[in-house]
Amino acid sequence: MKYEFTEDELKQIEVIKARYPEARPATLPVLWIAQNKFGHVEPDVQKLVARTLGLPEAHVHGVAEFYTQYYKKEQGKFVLDVCTCLSCQICGGYDILHYLEDKLGIKHGETTKDKMFTIQQVECLGACGYAPMMQITNGVYVNHLTREKVDKVIHGLKNGEMPEFEPMEMRKVKPQEN
Amino acid sequence: MPEVFIDGKSYEFEGQPKLLQFIMDEGLELPFFCYHPSMSIPANCRQCMVKVGQPVKDRDTGEYELDENGERVIRWFPKLQTACNFDVTDGLVVKTQESDELVERAQKDNLEFILINHPLDCPICDQAGECPLQIQTYKYGPEGSRFEVKKVHKPKRVQLGPRVILDAERCINCTRCTRFADEISKSYQLTITKRGDKNYPTTAPGETFDDPYSLNTVDLCPVGALTSADFRFRARVWEMNQTPSIDVSNGKGCNIDIWTRDNQVLRITPRHNPHVNDYWMPDVGREIYPLFNDNRISRPSVILDGENQIKSSWNNAIETFGEQMEAIKPEEILAIGSAHASVEENYLFAKFGNLLGISTPLFTPHIEPGSGDGFLITDDQAPNTNGVRLLGFEETDSKQLKTAVKSSNAKMILLLSDHLIDRGVLSADDLSGKYLVMFATNESETTKKADLLFPITCVVEHAASYVNVDGRIQRSFPAKETKYTNRRLDLEMTEGRLDRYGTKFDNWVTDENKVDCLPVWDLMALIGGRLGLDITYEGGSREVIKEVSQNMPAFSGVTYERMDDELGIELDTEHQTVKS
Ligand code: SF4
Ligand code: FES
Ligand code: FES
Repeated sequence: MKYEFTEDELKQIEVIKARYPEARPATLPVLWIAQNKFGHVEPDVQKLVARTLGLPEAHVHGVAEFYTQYYKKEQGKFVLDVCTCLSCQICGGYDILHYLEDKLGIKHGETTKDKMFTIQQVECLGACGYAPMMQITNGVYVNHLTREKVDKVIHGLKNGEMPEFEPMEMRKVKPQEN
Repeated sequence: MPEVFIDGKSYEFEGQPKLLQFIMDEGLELPFFCYHPSMSIPANCRQCMVKVGQPVKDRDTGEYELDENGERVIRWFPKLQTACNFDVTDGLVVKTQESDELVERAQKDNLEFILINHPLDCPICDQAGECPLQIQTYKYGPEGSRFEVKKVHKPKRVQLGPRVILDAERCINCTRCTRFADEISKSYQLTITKRGDKNYPTTAPGETFDDPYSLNTVDLCPVGALTSADFRFRARVWEMNQTPSIDVSNGKGCNIDIWTRDNQVLRITPRHNPHVNDYWMPDVGREIYPLFNDNRISRPSVILDGENQIKSSWNNAIETFGEQMEAIKPEEILAIGSAHASVEENYLFAKFGNLLGISTPLFTPHIEPGSGDGFLITDDQAPNTNGVRLLGFEETDSKQLKTAVKSSNAKMILLLSDHLIDRGVLSADDLSGKYLVMFATNESETTKKADLLFPITCVVEHAASYVNVDGRIQRSFPAKETKYTNRRLDLEMTEGRLDRYGTKFDNWVTDENKVDCLPVWDLMALIGGRLGLDITYEGGSREVIKEVSQNMPAFSGVTYERMDDELGIELDTEHQTVKS
């Protein structure tokens, strides 16, 4: 498939490039432009990015592969990133992952037939205090997961309802009295 | 001079060395994987940990603070540091694994980490025997692993490119290979994919690692993750014998090592020479090794009744040559030297002709414009073009050479090791009616035309010198025995384990891989003897180069000893060229 950027996007890319002394640092934001446009950055999209920025294809490929947030192939409408890194793992991250896999009938790394859901197993998303957690399509974090909560979220997503981003309850620390 | 204390001993230093390099330069040891002196320093393998501290200075007086014993007070870095990217500074105190248990422990634990997902398949791995991971685990590693769960699996037997194969499970992600492609060969073809314990090097999707320098990554790889498609499973390295030599595939003269087993060259690797090729060499230079084993001319041949070349004895061939020479006038003989042959060979070839009154040899360089890359691949396809120039041979272009050959004056042609028909300078017809005497190493279309064909030693069978495109004279060592040499007697030759302990009654050593050929200096002595000339060199090529250095101003002061000590000698090509 042939992927192209529009004139407008190219202009936007020029603006991004101008922010840095060389083209390399522009790789990340330009991959975002590509992913937002095409929904993924599969190899041909990576090549487009490399060509546009005048960078080696291998470099762009390495960057895209490094981050789970870039989708290297077409994904479902909702990408569920379930964290199984240390804190989440201890608090039941794998339980949640396997529950979700059974519920949707796919393994992580796969997409449901109706192209609705993709499950990814990911490393720490920096929300360890609310473990176990998952992220939906590089956006909303759903924290303190339980099976019931997973059921609710999936049900909601099927009806097009994205869960609210849950504000974190900060524990109030009393100033120490000396 | 500023000084640094390593394991309690003081060392002076100059400039701004990095600690790991300094430690190695002092002949000390520290385990490491990712560092390479010619590339950037990512400090990612974490193997080179040391403990470092700075002496405390009194701010007011600028004096070192002393403790109650009169020793300098040291402020240690709170954590161990990687030596590879650590700057050596005045007064620095360093503790390595030799004097500090924490450092020893850190190195051991790091190795345990690195080995967690390593397949430990040394018995079937090509790198075994020359593997930094194997050696350092043996020296500094833990006895066993505490990691008893399943290892991460990754792609195996990946054909990264035509010449390089990847086993991703063995990779320790030091990034030496990707840095090589980015910083040295500049093909930018490699990257590391994925992250954490799943990562490994790869090309962009659909791309192939066809970098003309790709095989250097195989040398660089500190484990068996990158192996040579050609050399894989061919030999265990400890069974081979390693001899220093010079790349003859082009004019750069990369310094190389020739690896032999049972007198067969099995691979070529680069040898460090900062003046020529640093640590690198082009893949083509490695790929020529079959030339040294196969298709060799063994025993002289003569053409009988104008048709078939048949093998002949040395005596008969020399007698035939003698008779032909006696029946012809020197003016009717055309001598053609060769940029593919060494200085010593060309010199003797010219000297022989000179004694007989034959005019100075011609030669035509073997240049393919545009084939060079400005790095280690040159337009010049021959290793010794400048050497022949400096010997004062008459340089002609290929047209002039053709004319000279076709001229009716030339009845006999003496041709030294230049396959002129194969490289398109002459056609077979140009030689009809001429009596062609050729001295060569390998069979070719050109040698087929020879009326008299003398097999001579090739670069891996003799010690001889070659002058590269930059005017640097460097020499080879004999690596492979001929029918007439013996590595136990020839002090220039080295012995590998099998050479030393093998016999022809076991499975590993045969007598088969020895070519029936002579070095030009021995051959000339025999031919000279038949013709009543005294051209003997008891000391072989070493004595020849001595004579060259005495007779030819361009080579004055050149000896094998100097070439060995100085990694070659830069000749003054500008001013000394006699004719060009
Ligand atoms: S393949 Fe070898 S050189 Fe490349 S990163 Fe892995 S261990 Fe290092
Ligand atoms: S471990 Fe799951 S968010 Fe940090
Ligand atoms: S050599 Fe220092 S970290 Fe690898």
